[in-house]
Amino acid sequence: MKTSSKEVQDSVKKLFEDGRISHFIGYEAGSDSLRVTPCFLKSGQTVSRLVWNPLCANNLAKYLLDLRKVEGKVGILVKGCDSRSVVELLKENQIERDRVFIVGVPCSGIVDGEKLLAVLGISPGDVVAVEDGGDAFLVTTREGKRRVRKEQVLRGECLVCRYPTPVIYDVLLGEAIPSLPWVRDDYSLVRELEELSAEEKARYWNRELSQCIRCYACRNVCPVCNCPECIFDKKAPRWLSKANDISENLVYHLIRAFHVAGKCVDCGECERACPMGIPLRRLNKKVEKDLLELFGYTAGIDVEQQPPLTKYQVGDLDEFL
Amino acid sequence: MVNQKKSKVIEKGRLTELLDKLTQGYHLIAPVQAKDVSFRRVESGSEVTLDYINSVLSPKNAFFSQTETLFRFFRDDNRGFQIEPCVEADREQVIFGIRPCDARSLRLMDMVFNGQYRDSYYLDKREKTTLIGLACFEPDETCFCPTFGIDPASGEDVDILFSDIGDRYLVEASTEKGAALLDKFAGFFVEPRGDEEQLRKARKAGLARMKKLDVSAIADKMAPLYGGDYWDSIGLKCLGCGICTYLCPTCHCFDIGDVNLDEGGGRFRCWDSCMFPEFTLMASGENPRPNRKTRIQQRFFHKLKYFYDRNGELACVGCGRCIRYCPVNIDISQIIEEVASGKAGND
Amino acid sequence: MTENIYLPRMATIQSMRPETIDITTFRVTIDGSDETERFEYKSGQFAEVSVPGVGEAPISISSSPARPGAIEFSIRRVGELTNALHELKPGDKIGIRGPFGNFFPLEEMEGRNLLIIGGGIGLAPLRSVILNVFDNRAKYGKIDIIYGARSPQDLVFTSEYEEWRKVDNTRLCLTVDRGDEKWQGNVGLVPTFLKELHPSPENTTSITCGPPIMIKFVIEALNEMGFPSEHIVTTLERRMKCGVGKCGRCNIGSKYVCLDGPVFTLKQLKEIPSD
Ligand SMILES: Cc1cc2nc3c(=O)[nH]c(=O)nc-3n(C[C@H](O)[C@H](O)[C@H](O)COP(=O)(O)OP(=O)(O)OC[C@H]3O[C@@H](n4cnc5c(N)ncnc54)[C@H](O)[C@@H]3O)c2cc1C
Ligand code: SF4
Ligand code: SF4
Ligand code: SF4
Ligand code: SF4
Ligand code: SF4
Ligand code: FES
Repeated sequence: MKTSSKEVQDSVKKLFEDGRISHFIGYEAGSDSLRVTPCFLKSGQTVSRLVWNPLCANNLAKYLLDLRKVEGKVGILVKGCDSRSVVELLKENQIERDRVFIVGVPCSGIVDGEKLLAVLGISPGDVVAVEDGGDAFLVTTREGKRRVRKEQVLRGECLVCRYPTPVIYDVLLGEAIPSLPWVRDDYSLVRELEELSAEEKARYWNRELSQCIRCYACRNVCPVCNCPECIFDKKAPRWLSKANDISENLVYHLIRAFHVAGKCVDCGECERACPMGIPLRRLNKKVEKDLLELFGYTAGIDVEQQPPLTKYQVGDLDEFL
Repeated sequence: MVNQKKSKVIEKGRLTELLDKLTQGYHLIAPVQAKDVSFRRVESGSEVTLDYINSVLSPKNAFFSQTETLFRFFRDDNRGFQIEPCVEADREQVIFGIRPCDARSLRLMDMVFNGQYRDSYYLDKREKTTLIGLACFEPDETCFCPTFGIDPASGEDVDILFSDIGDRYLVEASTEKGAALLDKFAGFFVEPRGDEEQLRKARKAGLARMKKLDVSAIADKMAPLYGGDYWDSIGLKCLGCGICTYLCPTCHCFDIGDVNLDEGGGRFRCWDSCMFPEFTLMASGENPRPNRKTRIQQRFFHKLKYFYDRNGELACVGCGRCIRYCPVNIDISQIIEEVASGKAGND
Repeated sequence: MTENIYLPRMATIQSMRPETIDITTFRVTIDGSDETERFEYKSGQFAEVSVPGVGEAPISISSSPARPGAIEFSIRRVGELTNALHELKPGDKIGIRGPFGNFFPLEEMEGRNLLIIGGGIGLAPLRSVILNVFDNRAKYGKIDIIYGARSPQDLVFTSEYEEWRKVDNTRLCLTVDRGDEKWQGNVGLVPTFLKELHPSPENTTSITCGPPIMIKFVIEALNEMGFPSEHIVTTLERRMKCGVGKCGRCNIGSKYVCLDGPVFTLKQLKEIPSD
């Protein structure tokens, strides 16, 4: 990661000084050295809190929705995947382009803390800092510096990321990264499942989804899950019982997957947020792959391009009607 | 307290066999490795893992399950209903491997479910359960149980404590119930060799580094923060999900719902969370906690003040789950520090 | 085994008296001999009323414990359960849990004048007080009842007013937000009407129940008129489920409305946060 925290701080400070933004959403150090936390600034005086490093996993685009009503422009730091969520929010007219100031950072991969600890065989308290070192992460531990090859410890979505450089921005900090060397097959996870028989698939998903505690973190963290009143919270008619059992869980996950279809940009936030380790990206990726194969559609690239499932054309296939 | 005479030892090699035996007479609930470790009902000792710091889901599920049927009903010819209560505690259960923090949380839960109105669903299971604790010697970064006066290597809130001291476990009963269970399986246990205390002491060395926050006057210090802007940015950051409360061993909130079928149906209860908007929404459309700020404020006030006002204890045991799993790193230990040190003032 | 606090007792609807277009008073008896008599409650308490398969809701008891034989609930249809209740007919069964919550301190009020102020469906728990004190008329001084609703059609218990007015040393003053051709009484909001009537705080306890906004302004008016905060008694409403202090949703500060309320004096309210 060529861009440094300092570059981010300086650039944001200037934006505040020039009166171009009234708020900024970025990252700051978290409560331990494997975490960062979202940071909300209202002035340039506190920019020294901002950080940019390979732990900055959160997709901050969701917060643009909460800050729609503030005075002035809202600045936001986005990675490649996050910028594609911003594109989706613009498409849906959830936000106005001239009310946000997008600070893009080219991203060369976010570290998966658990994988890192496992590969290094250390515990969270041993980590002091994680930095980008090109094809490896440089990990400062209590016992000294260690190098870990990125492919071993990247987050799942980073292993298949085709858009490391933001697709939309007002300013780009650092040099664009055209592609990531480790990205080969985007859909190996999906293909593995596609090869299973129907019963095997059912067994797989039943096993996985029976673990779900319906905390709704996967929904709440997702920038494209933004209905003012979610269908799962509606009381009349009630679509879903609050009782936690496999059939209700299946309904929840099917509806969720279809509601984000064509809008999901695989930022991986749902899977990262899930406390139960449910492989939500596999479900999202399957839908993504089908949309690509059937309609040649990829979400979050172009504000003008509407998702195929919400658009009607005279020539659409209609045998199923 | 721990009676020296009741200390026993079990060789590590015999543990699986003991657990197997336990499954024959009891419902055994023990840590199982899936994606992460969780407490589940097991059928044999070999399913149990001992390689964990703590589970994702707390063992509260064994007493207060996420979804629990309260009663079933059947319609009769007389426009009426027959009601059949469902109380599941049909067998004695043993929880093996519960950590001292979670064991303490049950004491806090008891304060809620007992009292003027007795919640028999919870209390029956509690009465029929023997807790076998596992001492902690290698806590997680996010563990801060000493803050609440919990010694992670002690068996204060369990019936029996197991301490891993290398090639064997030191086994101590701290209640009659625990002693009775040890007697019943006496064949598995042998007399201590004599070096156990020393081994335990050596293992405890690392615990001294654990986070211990000052919570002496925390409830009083919370009071003036009510409604203040300290909660603004925390509320903005919070996603309003159910992680922190569903995983918390002391959170006891629930909803009640009905199931309707032709011939009858039932009423169930299921976990609910003060972080959800509908939690306090009234039929009139009025909501006394209309935004995430007021909801997260409720969570921290309940843990650090209201529960204390009612019960004389704080509703947190420092297990660290909400810290480990919060997707945006809202950290109760940090909040406690800020409140205790006065840094959390309203600006 | 101790009593199961979540099991409703079956009760039979004896009669249903429509009060307004959306409020009906249900007169019910609990199934089993003597069970209704053994359901001991005090004015101000509520019960969890349920229709199995639909749900449950807290409803104030609007009858007086001094008039045994049946229990009454006056219920407004606003949502799932209350709609289902309104679809029932006499003879149908419902579930009852309770009584729960605290009550109006009628014993402490003996020898005092009572100022009873209600709005809309808020008259339901107050009716329990009214009937109760009527049956023990000698124990209380003057009784002033001030009651208001949106329109004349929204007033509840109208069929009983004549009887109430006949009781010694008792006044019933009605007001509506909007009158119609036939309405001869006062037109105006309850707090304004209260100020016009200007009752004396001397040896008087005021009891009020109604929509939150009305309660707020009534309390302000009572303060202005010099009522001390320990003699201003009101009720609070919160979303409820268990009714017994377990499910955790009805708290205001450290108080659970279901357990420590719904009746509070203004003095108590001043000590808890205002959310
Ligand atoms: C102490 C107390 C006494 C009450 N007395 C009366 C009365 O005498 N007459 C009357 O008509 N209404 C009364 N209410 C209000 C009544 O409880 C609600 O109107 C009712 O719960 C709505 O239920 P529902 O299922 O029809 O609505 P829904 O909107 O479908 O509500 C679903 C559930 O949420 C809960 N809930 C929703 N709104 C409220 C609320 N305002 N208060 C408490 N729980 C709520 C209930 O458990 C309810 O079943 C009282 C409320 C309280 C707290
Ligand atoms: S985050 Fe995980 S546990 Fe929570 S609702 Fe989503 S899939 Fe279920
Ligand atoms: S887990 Fe974190 S984001 Fe979710 S509700 Fe709790 S504090 Fe908010
Ligand atoms: S509040 Fe957090 S640390 Fe405290 S007991 Fe609950 S989950 Fe554990
Ligand atoms: S009110 Fe919130 S913090 Fe308190 S027990 Fe309930 S869910 Fe947990
Ligand atoms: S909080 Fe304490 S008792 Fe709980 S797991 Fe951590 S060290 Fe053990
Ligand atoms: S209604 Fe459950 S705690 Fe009050």
